[in-house]
Amino acid sequence: MAPPVRYCIPGERLCNLEEGSPGSGTYTRHGYIFSSLAGCLMKSSENGALPVVSVVRETESQLLPDVGAIVTCKVSSINSRFAKVHILYVGSMPLKNSFRGTIRKEDVRATEKDKVEIYKSFRPGDIVLAKVISLGDAQSNYLLTTAENELGVVVAHSESGIQMVPISWCEMQCPKTHTKEFRKVARVQPEFLQT
Amino acid sequence: MAGLELLSDQGYRVDGRRAGELRKIQARMGVFAQADGSAYIEQGNTKALAVVYGPHEIRGSRARALPDRALVNCQYSSATFSTGERKRRPHGDRKSCEMGLQLRQTFEAAILTQLHPRSQIDIYVQVLQADGGTYAACVNAATLAVLDAGIPMRDFVCACSAGFVDGTALADLSHVEEAAGGPQLALALLPASGQIALLEMDARLHEDHLERVLEAAAQAARDVHTLLDRVVRQHVREASILLGD
Repeated sequence: MAPPVRYCIPGERLCNLEEGSPGSGTYTRHGYIFSSLAGCLMKSSENGALPVVSVVRETESQLLPDVGAIVTCKVSSINSRFAKVHILYVGSMPLKNSFRGTIRKEDVRATEKDKVEIYKSFRPGDIVLAKVISLGDAQSNYLLTTAENELGVVVAHSESGIQMVPISWCEMQCPKTHTKEFRKVARVQPEFLQT
Repeated sequence: MAGLELLSDQGYRVDGRRAGELRKIQARMGVFAQADGSAYIEQGNTKALAVVYGPHEIRGSRARALPDRALVNCQYSSATFSTGERKRRPHGDRKSCEMGLQLRQTFEAAILTQLHPRSQIDIYVQVLQADGGTYAACVNAATLAVLDAGIPMRDFVCACSAGFVDGTALADLSHVEEAAGGPQLALALLPASGQIALLEMDARLHEDHLERVLEAAAQAARDVHTLLDRVVRQHVREASILLGD
């Protein structure tokens, strides 16, 4: 039988640093671990190490894109040096508010960086998988990269409005008019597919 | 005999309370579905609503973004029907600005802002009915709303007001006691660590009495913490039951 659930609130002292190590939802001060969220206390230990003390919330709170996260975004505008995108998902979690990001020309692909042309990689309205590489500075927001095989355009529409089919890593074709257009195409992994 | 008697010879106040007694407090969390966090609180006849959005991207001027922590934005407003006489206050009047700044200072001390760099947390508080202790009700409502939004906090802030009449420190002032013009002290406390998040006082008070008034306000804030603690644990337990934990 599972032990009864212990609820804790911010400011509650959970244990000292010799009995456990702090996990998510906690903070440390003066050698003790305190809770910073209102939720259930969880302890997990592996290989006899110190148990990790964390506080888990039942309902998920607002998620922020972090460095290294795979995000799904929509291209909003392009120019010769970068593409502006709206971040819609972090992993598989939809965001309540969209965040703005930038994919620079140098971050589109890992090879032949000097030959990249933005309008041959993205078009406005495309859905792109990207990875966050920086939180950005005052002029821009999240800096994203698609310089991996699994990152790039996953959904694109042709000029006649039909969703195109990828035919290579840099080309997509319209199934109706058979027009070919250039895109930086993602090799989509099965875990990212949602039906 | 002159004026209103705020404290009777037997030690009772105008509404029948003892000197250190709180008014009745009722609170609810999660009253709005579209906000990230929301709360409603009643302290006696003072009623306040708080909603929290965030953390989200900085809106407006991007120069305000802080590279190492979140920006806390607080706005206070009172409804036109919240006082005895109906009054439409323009947005940005002196009292709203002052109260917004005080709330912001209070929550910058409590929220772990360094966990969300370059983002913004919005806290909006509205007073539906004002009967004294407005700042304390706003802080208590906002802290419940921040908890409901799941934003990590060092401790949750509890606030209370205190006064001084006839050599006795009073806790949780009502409008009659505030209007009498004696000294009023507003205290926001982080009860677990005992740190003071905000302290404000007006009117004159001799230094010898300050310690007693401070202690009365701190004790009242700890009592508020006990009540809000109960509300929060009840809310967390209900959330677990609803999700079939």
